Order: sequence, then structure tokens, then C-alpha cells
Amino acid sequence: MNITINGKTCTCEKGEFLLEVARRNGIPIPTLCHHPALAGQGSCRVCLVEVDEGRGPKIVVSCVYPIQRECTVETDSERVRRERGMVLALLRKRAPESRRIAGMCRLYGAPELPRLTPADTGKCILCGLCTRACTELSVGAISTVNRGVLKEIATPYHEPSTVCVGCGACANVCPTEAIPLTETAETRTIWGKTFQLVRCASCGRILGTREELELAAKRCGQEPETLCERCRKAATAQILADVYGD
Amino acid sequence: MSKTVLVCCGTGCLANGSKKVAGAFRQLLAGTDHQVECVVKETGCNGFCENGPLVQILPDDITYYKVQVQDVGEIVEKTILAGAPVERLLYKNDAGQRVRSQQENPFYAPQMKVALRNIGKIEPSSVEDYMAHGGYRALKKALTMTGEEIVRELEASGLRGRGGAGFPTGTKWRSAMELERFPKYVACNGDEGDPGAFMDRSILEGDPHSVLEGMAICALAIRAEEGFLYIRDEYGLAVHNVQEAIAQAEARGILGEHILGSDRRLKLSVVRGGGAFVCGESTALMASVEGRVGEPRAKYIRSVQRGLWDCPTVLNNVETLANVPVILEHGGAEFAKLGTERSKGTKVFALVGKVKRTGLVEVPMGATLRHLIYDIGGGVKGNRPFKAVQTGGPSGGCIPADMLDLPVDFDTLKARGAMMGSGGMIVMDDRSCMVEVARYYIKFLSEESCGKCTPCREGLRHMLAILTDICEGRGQESDLELLEQLCDTLEDASLCALGKSAPNPVRTTLKYFRDEYEAHIKEHRCPAGVCTALTRFVINPDKCVGCGACQRACPAGVISGSGKKVPRVIDNTRCIVCGSCREACRFDAVEAKGRAGL
Repeated sequence: MNITINGKTCTCEKGEFLLEVARRNGIPIPTLCHHPALAGQGSCRVCLVEVDEGRGPKIVVSCVYPIQRECTVETDSERVRRERGMVLALLRKRAPESRRIAGMCRLYGAPELPRLTPADTGKCILCGLCTRACTELSVGAISTVNRGVLKEIATPYHEPSTVCVGCGACANVCPTEAIPLTETAETRTIWGKTFQLVRCASCGRILGTREELELAAKRCGQEPETLCERCRKAATAQILADVYGD
Repeated sequence: MSKTVLVCCGTGCLANGSKKVAGAFRQLLAGTDHQVECVVKETGCNGFCENGPLVQILPDDITYYKVQVQDVGEIVEKTILAGAPVERLLYKNDAGQRVRSQQENPFYAPQMKVALRNIGKIEPSSVEDYMAHGGYRALKKALTMTGEEIVRELEASGLRGRGGAGFPTGTKWRSAMELERFPKYVACNGDEGDPGAFMDRSILEGDPHSVLEGMAICALAIRAEEGFLYIRDEYGLAVHNVQEAIAQAEARGILGEHILGSDRRLKLSVVRGGGAFVCGESTALMASVEGRVGEPRAKYIRSVQRGLWDCPTVLNNVETLANVPVILEHGGAEFAKLGTERSKGTKVFALVGKVKRTGLVEVPMGATLRHLIYDIGGGVKGNRPFKAVQTGGPSGGCIPADMLDLPVDFDTLKARGAMMGSGGMIVMDDRSCMVEVARYYIKFLSEESCGKCTPCREGLRHMLAILTDICEGRGQESDLELLEQLCDTLEDASLCALGKSAPNPVRTTLKYFRDEYEAHIKEHRCPAGVCTALTRFVINPDKCVGCGACQRACPAGVISGSGKKVPRVIDNTRCIVCGSCREACRFDAVEAKGRAGL
């Protein structure tokens, strides 16, 4: 079926998410809580657009809006710009230290709203992407805690997690670099817990934390990895060369 | 000769000692050779809680109010044995006459009970009593009907969801029925969380089988075999009574493996709510039932298609389900005779606040606010001027006096920016500050928002800060425009209905009581005398008669003067602005002024 986005005809499947269709057609829509590897939640609201299915335009968030019938979409109408600007302005008050949010505010012309008091500090916009990554890819060590204005992301009881493996998936997906992850030559510290780093037995590059490698090994039913990807490939190539040499 | 003593054991009456009253009746009536055979029943809530405990004697049709244990002896002697009323325990109507029957009581007389039909008459703990009052007849009839026939009756009835949104119940059932994906589920939303509302609690406590019967009929129609009742955990008695009712219905073969002996089955269970207001939202409720965090999801695909565990699910409100057996038994067309063009049947309201008679009332849809507040409620307490009525809970709005003649139904109030909602109705007089009311609801919502989406979580935080500033004298002239801007964003960009409707308390007060906001901001004055930072109480010497009532009421001891006819004076430098003096004064001599010049 066909839909029209900003005047351009786009082909899509029924049930496809609007964001995917727009991006495939080179139409940019900003996102924060969206990650292609994880199911959308529609929490940050930055990807909102205007959709008209024949009953008048309505605001929807494109990352979780499944296309059901032919429609026209505006990703940059006046209403979209106004509401997206307000959402970004509110996020800037939540995460005043985030340079990414500040940049997006400039790009999309978010109002300053000097009357509103920013949250004390921080870069976290509470989008929840980290908790989804941790739950789906790792061990579910962090989650959203409390509700409403008291909501935060934390480990249970704010204590160092007993299950966290220090994989850093949460910090990796975070759109605003809000999760502190520090590394020394031997250790990685995240969520108040310090992990021993394992290095490649051949070249010495960091492979990950011991717990992370053990978890991965357990999931595949193999011994923990000792070589990095490059050295493993080199070793396999060497074996092949030894067998089929000349 | 046999008589029945109905002792109200709803939550309100229980708190006033009705259990002991029932015990006293049993004790006095047991084991003696009275000529009168007597049954004592502990019923659900009669709705007139402020006058509890209520005791009704049948067939004499005498209702007593505020009955205490020490009154029981006299009631047994005079009424049960001799058939004569105990005058002092009867209700005094507006003309000052004592009335015997509930039908003569101005609180009950204009009501029409459909959803509350059995409450106060039957013992909620007895399935036999429910059946003696016609219970489970509709379920028996439903077993002889096809799903299509059942859904047609619902559609013909015009029943719309009583939880607030007013979605047509028949349409919802039809969507679920026509989906060929199994398993399917039925669910009951008993997570009533609006401040001041207790309609669903009363039904779950007082007539749990009517809700179970409604769910069973739905399950037959859509071919579901499992169902859940999500009841907020604070409703201890409701949880207990529903669990007991399920066990009884299963033990009697009404529910369970063979519904009334047929080859259809239905397993019902209670899920206790986790104490979050947002869990009343359908998708958050379902997440909570599944054991996940109670956060809503975007409802671009309706929960009837993708509900519990992504299966087709019908979720109905308690009051909606309680209406279903009536519709099945008497036919949808009969039900549709009640109410207005687009809102059929009756609606239960929790009438509270500054009104003379508070309680649970059920009237046909389309009754006016004036009828509810003045005829049934008896008008504003202390005959003070009516200012507004807050309808629909935190997502509702404040309706001013010039709209008192509006019919209450799903559509009329919505068109005015308020909503009927689930039925909460809080009456306010001229001593209610509308800015403070808006602040109260926004505070409630900011704490109860799930915090998942940006506009609701962040928008409410800032709206609360602005409203608090206005109430405390730090408001700025540009604040009203900013509030409206935030309202727009919440309405347009929030994820669920909680966020989308959260601006209503602010919007309606801004629309109808803008002058009060302006008085706070520009004149640093709270016209209602509620916001302590902006209020100074002054005694008008022309009105003061020197009775000293204010002095006795003042907890800070800052009112001076003595002797009859000598006006009292408040020391504003030490006054804590609690308003006790104003409440105590019967001559309206205590006036609220701004703090300017202090």
C-alpha cells in the first residue's frame, strides 16, 4: 500500500511502523528512545508526527504507530514543530547537562522557557532504553524505579547489583551518555560495581568483563572466549593455512 | 410473622460500628420465644454513609439512621415486636418531619437503582440471597443464546462504559467476539482511584455476584474461559467479598468447569492492585495483571485486540458489568428507554464535598447537576453560595454555577471541557479556591503519573511548580499563558489518557475562574481565603455580635476582645490563617482580605 509523507508517495506494508517507512524513504524524523534492535516504547515523544487517515489530522508517535490504512503524514508541520519543540524544551529542563539535547533544541527551535526550573543536574531523560537493553540483551540488573515526578533509573535499592555483569549495554544504547562507565587498565566500574577486565590472550585488547564473558559462554554452552575477534580470525586462518597450506 | 432486619455493613457504616449493631440484634433476637421470627442480614452500602449505621426493618419499611448498640433494645421492643417506629432515629426531611420509609427520604426518593439494585437488600456473602433476588437468571438465559444474540442485546441497550470514556460496550464485545484468536479473556476494572469516588467499591462490596454474572455473560458471548477482577488493594472488604463470591459460585456449579451445568467453563480470579492510580488505565492494568510494571502502552492497537498476554481481551468497568444482567434479563430495548439519546441507562455518582446530603446516588442519565446537588443533595452546606462542582476525578473539570442546568451524560460535559468520568462529584462553595483545587489535582497527577512519557512526567512537574507559585504569591502575569501552552502539549503529545486529560482541572478553572488566578497574581489576594500566603482574616465590626465563637475556635489564641456586643479583633501578625474563626462564625463577620499592607 501507499502512504504520503510530506507530499512524497511511499510504499509500505500494512502494520509497518511509520518511523521505519519514513527513514527508508530518506525522510528524517528525530528519535531518542528508539533503537533499531529493541522494540519501540514511544516514551520520549520526540518522533511525533501528524497523521490524517481521513478523519482530520492527529498527533501520533511514529516509532510505534503501525500503518493500518492509507494516510497522509506531515513530519514538519507547524503543530509538529510546536509540540516537538515543547517536548525537547521539557527534556532540556530534565537533562540540562546533555549536549545532545541542547543540540536538538537548537536544531528544532525549542523554546527557552526560562520560567521553568531545570532539574538539578544530569543528562538522563528517563527514556528507559537502558532498562530495555539490560532486560532483553543482558540480565535485567536495572529498571525504572518509582513513578511520576520521582521516577528514576536504578539498581534495586540503589545497591550495587548482584546480577550485573558489567557488559555496558545500558551505557552503550543511552542516547544522552547519562550512564557513567569508567575504565582503568584492569577494571571497569558501572552502577557502583567494579569488574575485572579480561584482555585478549594474543594482542591484549579488552574483551570485556570476566562476568560478561562467562555469561556469554554459558548462553552458548562453550568455554569463555580468550581471544578478540581479530586474533580469533587470525588463529582460524592460521589453522586453515596449516591444513591446506601451499 | 417474620421480619427482616437489614443492617448496613458497607465500609462507612462498619467504621461507625454497624458490625456491633448487627451483633446486638442477633443476640437480642436469638433464643427467646418472640412471636416474631426475625432474620438479621448484613448488607452492602446503602450510599447514605454520613448517616450510618443504617438499619432497615422489613416488611414495616422503616429505616433508622445513626443507630448505635444502645438503640437496639428499643428498636426490637418497639418496632420489631410492636410495629411502631422509634421516632428519634428516623430521618428528618427538609421540612423537619420524621419519615419512616426510604421512599419518603429526599435523598433516596428521586433515585432509580439499576446498577445498585440489590445493594442494601441482600447479604453480599450469600449467593442464595442473590439468587432469591433474581440473580443468575440472566446467565441462565445467556446460555440459551448465541454470542451474536447476546451482543445484539448489548448493542440495543446502548450501554456505554461507566469507567469514564463511554465506549459502547456492545461494540467492544463484538470486536472481541469476531476475533478468531484464542485464548480470550474477560477482565473487570475495579481500580477506582479518583479522590472522593466510591461507586465501584460499593458494588464490589455489596453485590459482588452481579459483577461476576456480567463477566460470565461476556465470557459466553466472546468465548473466553478465563477472567480477572483487578481490584485496588485498599478495598479490603471488596477483595474479600469478591473472593468469597467466586468460591461460592464455583461451589454451587454456577461458575467453574461447567457454567450452570453446561459444557462452557469460566475460571475467575482476583488480582489485587498495586496501589497506582495509573493502573486504572486499560493497558497499564493489563501490564500489572501480567506481573509487569503498571505502565500504559500506546493504544494504536486497541486492548480488545491485543490485551492480556497479547490475546483478545474485554475489559469493562465494575458498574458497566453490574448493568449487564439487567440488560440480558429485560432486553436491551427496555434498558434503552432510560437515559438520553446517546447515553442510556442510569449512572451512579459519589456526591461529596460541601453538600448537605453526601453519598452514593443513582439517577437516569441526563439528570441535571441542579437535580443532583439541590434535590438529592439538599443544596450547599450552610446555605452558602454554590461555586463549582468538580466532576470526573482528576481528569475531569470544574463546572461553574451557570451550568447547573446541564444534563449529566457522556457528551454534554465533554463539550464543556469537563467530563462525567466514572462518577465522582465534588461540590464546592465560595470558600473553595479554584487555583488551589487545580494545584491539588495536578499534585495528585504528578505523583500518580507513571512517568513513562516526557510531556506528562515533565509537564506536570512544571505545572505544579507554577500553580504552587501562584498559590504562594510568586505568580507572574505570563504564567497563565505558559500554563495553557503546557496544557496543549500534554493533551497533544502524552502517551495515555491520564496525560491527555490531566490538563482538564487547569483548563476548566482557567476558563471559568480566570479572575481568581488574576487576583492571586496581580493583587496578591486569594478571593476564597484559602491560600494562606495571600490571605488575612479580618473581623467586620459591623457584623460581629461579640459572641466569642471565633475566640473559642482559634487554635493560636490571637483573637482579642471580650464582652457581648464588643467586636473581636484578630492579631494578623500572629494569625496562622487556618480559617477556624471563619468556620465558627455564624454571622459571616470574618472576612478574607489580601495580605497587602501587612
